[in-house]
Amino acid sequence: MDTNLMIQTLQDPMGVPFYPMVFQGLSILTFALHIFFVNLVLGGALIAAWGYFSSDQRWQKLSRMLAKVTTINISIAIVLGVAPLLFVQVIYDPFWYTSNLLSAWWTMLFLAALITGALAMYVFYLKRKTGKQRAGGFGLLAVACILFAALIIHFLSMQALHPEQWLGWYVSGLKMNTAGWGLNSLQISRLLHFLVPALLNTGIFLMLYAWYFKPREDLDQAYLAWAAKLGLSLARYAVIATTLIGIWWLIGLPAEFHFMTDHSLIAGYVLAILLIALLFKAQQDPSGYAPSAAVLSLVTLVVMSVSRESLRLSYLKPFGYSIYDYPTTVDWGSTSLFLATFVLGIAVVAYLLTIAFKAGRGEYMQELKASTEP
Amino acid sequence: MYPLFEIPIVGGPILIAAIATFHIIPSHVATGAFWISYFIERKALRENRPELLEFLKKLSLSILIFCFVTGSLTGVGIWFAATVLSPRAISGLIHTYVWGWAAEWVFFVIEIVAIYVYYYSFDKISPKVHLRIGLIYAVAAWFSMVIITGILGFMMTPGGWLETGGFFSGFFNQTYWPQLFFRTSMMFAIAGCYAALVASTLRNGGRDTVRRIAGRWGLVGLMASGVFAAWYYLALPANALENLASIGYVAIMLKLAIVAAVLLGGYFFLLASGRGWFVNAWIGTAMMVLLFAGIIGGESVREFIRRPYLIPGYMYSNQIIGHEMAAKEIASEAERFNRQGLLPNYPFIPEQLATVSEENFLAAGEVLVKVECLACHTLAKGGRNALPDILDGLDAESAVYLLDDLSRSYMPPFVGNATEQRAAAAYLASIAGGELPSARWVVKGDE
Repeated sequence: MDTNLMIQTLQDPMGVPFYPMVFQGLSILTFALHIFFVNLVLGGALIAAWGYFSSDQRWQKLSRMLAKVTTINISIAIVLGVAPLLFVQVIYDPFWYTSNLLSAWWTMLFLAALITGALAMYVFYLKRKTGKQRAGGFGLLAVACILFAALIIHFLSMQALHPEQWLGWYVSGLKMNTAGWGLNSLQISRLLHFLVPALLNTGIFLMLYAWYFKPREDLDQAYLAWAAKLGLSLARYAVIATTLIGIWWLIGLPAEFHFMTDHSLIAGYVLAILLIALLFKAQQDPSGYAPSAAVLSLVTLVVMSVSRESLRLSYLKPFGYSIYDYPTTVDWGSTSLFLATFVLGIAVVAYLLTIAFKAGRGEYMQELKASTEP
Repeated sequence: MYPLFEIPIVGGPILIAAIATFHIIPSHVATGAFWISYFIERKALRENRPELLEFLKKLSLSILIFCFVTGSLTGVGIWFAATVLSPRAISGLIHTYVWGWAAEWVFFVIEIVAIYVYYYSFDKISPKVHLRIGLIYAVAAWFSMVIITGILGFMMTPGGWLETGGFFSGFFNQTYWPQLFFRTSMMFAIAGCYAALVASTLRNGGRDTVRRIAGRWGLVGLMASGVFAAWYYLALPANALENLASIGYVAIMLKLAIVAAVLLGGYFFLLASGRGWFVNAWIGTAMMVLLFAGIIGGESVREFIRRPYLIPGYMYSNQIIGHEMAAKEIASEAERFNRQGLLPNYPFIPEQLATVSEENFLAAGEVLVKVECLACHTLAKGGRNALPDILDGLDAESAVYLLDDLSRSYMPPFVGNATEQRAAAAYLASIAGGELPSARWVVKGDE
């Protein structure tokens, strides 16, 4: 069967319940948010593990804080991963499912790795609540698990972009390879371009950490300033490395994609330059520049997520596949259900985060003290 | 139709079953425990009992780790397992219920933010606000159950969806309400069992109070779930009732669930009436294991009695679309494959196998058997539900008659043209150790 026809027959006959472009837009946005937190998880785990083995007390303190925060970021990264996973299955089901089936056992190991890594991070955090306590192995285990997970997801994503190779990967002679241990199509430049920004965004996170706790006079401001400076330094190196790796990836793409002049990528070039410039300027006042660095980095990430989708379209164009051809039967009922829930969700989460933000800054301490005094 | 993933010896179903039944514990703890905890926190504030707040800190940390690591990842695990074992089924569900899952996701996000803020803000915000956050969590968690139960129920009773193809006509089906009330009751039983375990690790006076509360909530939840289970039974469709009555495995699983429930009821009674002093961490854990056994029983019954369908009236357990669905203009694949053959319509095979020939009939038969039977069977002797053991010595001609008659039981019918049926029969005979037919007979039939 010819590849184009194969893809068509794989597409779900149910069609989609709303305009495919909306699912595409949502998958781009939620993917960017997911990757941001994955960056924080990987970067946090790396720095926390590194800091554990240092004799410098400031690195020790930073390591303990990052171990704790990373446990939270893992949960957020997981829940934010659910959304793009859902949307890719709505509009790119033939590609995602085929890829998963070729590597079925690896997808299960991916989950096992995340569970192991998350639990290891909890142990790494809880064991050290009072001083250093033979926990280094757990920190390293967490890092290894997260990197393993990244590698698996990379293979799953790459396989999904090469439908012309599926049959070759699955069939040999008269036999089908149903064992589910396939791992095909590695692109190191692409993988690194996803991994290295972990240090960029975690660096910015450290700057934000110092910025957030500035009003707390009871905390060690010298330590916080050091953390911000360290974060900025990491971010500066990482942003340059990421840019160079991105160019390496770009050069390795098929010439017929003409991807260097893709619109979203042009926006990406501009943002990368702005971000580099900002991070250099920020040396004057690392914590002060934290919010703007964070916003600019996030915007860059969203644009990169658009480019990622644009690149996917280039890969899939030869196969005549377009999400806009997906049979659509608009279901206003369930769409409204989601929209209403989403609006409610934003309101409730905003309320909760406001409380958390104020609590961390000690804004409730006066009120609490007053209420417990006789 | 997608490539196949084969798990030798244990078979595919065990993978989903193991992940899904485990998931019931952290998910129902997550939905139930914070109602109990809200009740205890209010009590702690009203009666000025700080030792109860110590229990709450322990409970919420354990939930953070247990529910938000293993719970969330096994939930996603069910999704991944379904992806590699029944991609067309999960795809069909997602293409209909994507907005439902997206809405459920919003509640997950609220849950996660709420529990982290709750845990980390003990002693940092006013007790009243802290209590409110716990309540927000409890409500959000329950709403995620409200949504997923609709989709789960749909897989047993698709309601009006077969006629309309609409989200809500499928969502509000006849097993939805009984199952929702059942799970809501069960979540208190599961959370009560869990709370009793956490309480047994306390060293202070809060332990006895919490045990009593856990026992009371657990007992009421368990008894209520019994009532709603009866309602659920009354709402079951004909094929499910028949399966319930006739399949031996189902009867065993049901007995397991009932025995576990009765024993748990006794346990909750002891706790509720203040006689739970002997419950230490070991016993608390043993009761969780017993609970898990009961869950295995109950969920196995629910999954099994749905056969031969994954989506009743539409998709068989082996992912073949067995019936026309006019509302979405989807034609029956069974009808088309019976006419044209399955193999020419299946892209993921060696090209030479698209048509059965005298040279390739065993290989072609293997493809057909794998596509149509791997959903429930394994293909080597000694494996789970292994075809060689079930068909022991069956010859090819008898296998053809067997394949004619599959839907007399709770299995999907064989799908494919006559030649393909003979090829599949030949392959079945080859693995069952039965007499193989001539290649000519496979291709030409009884001329």
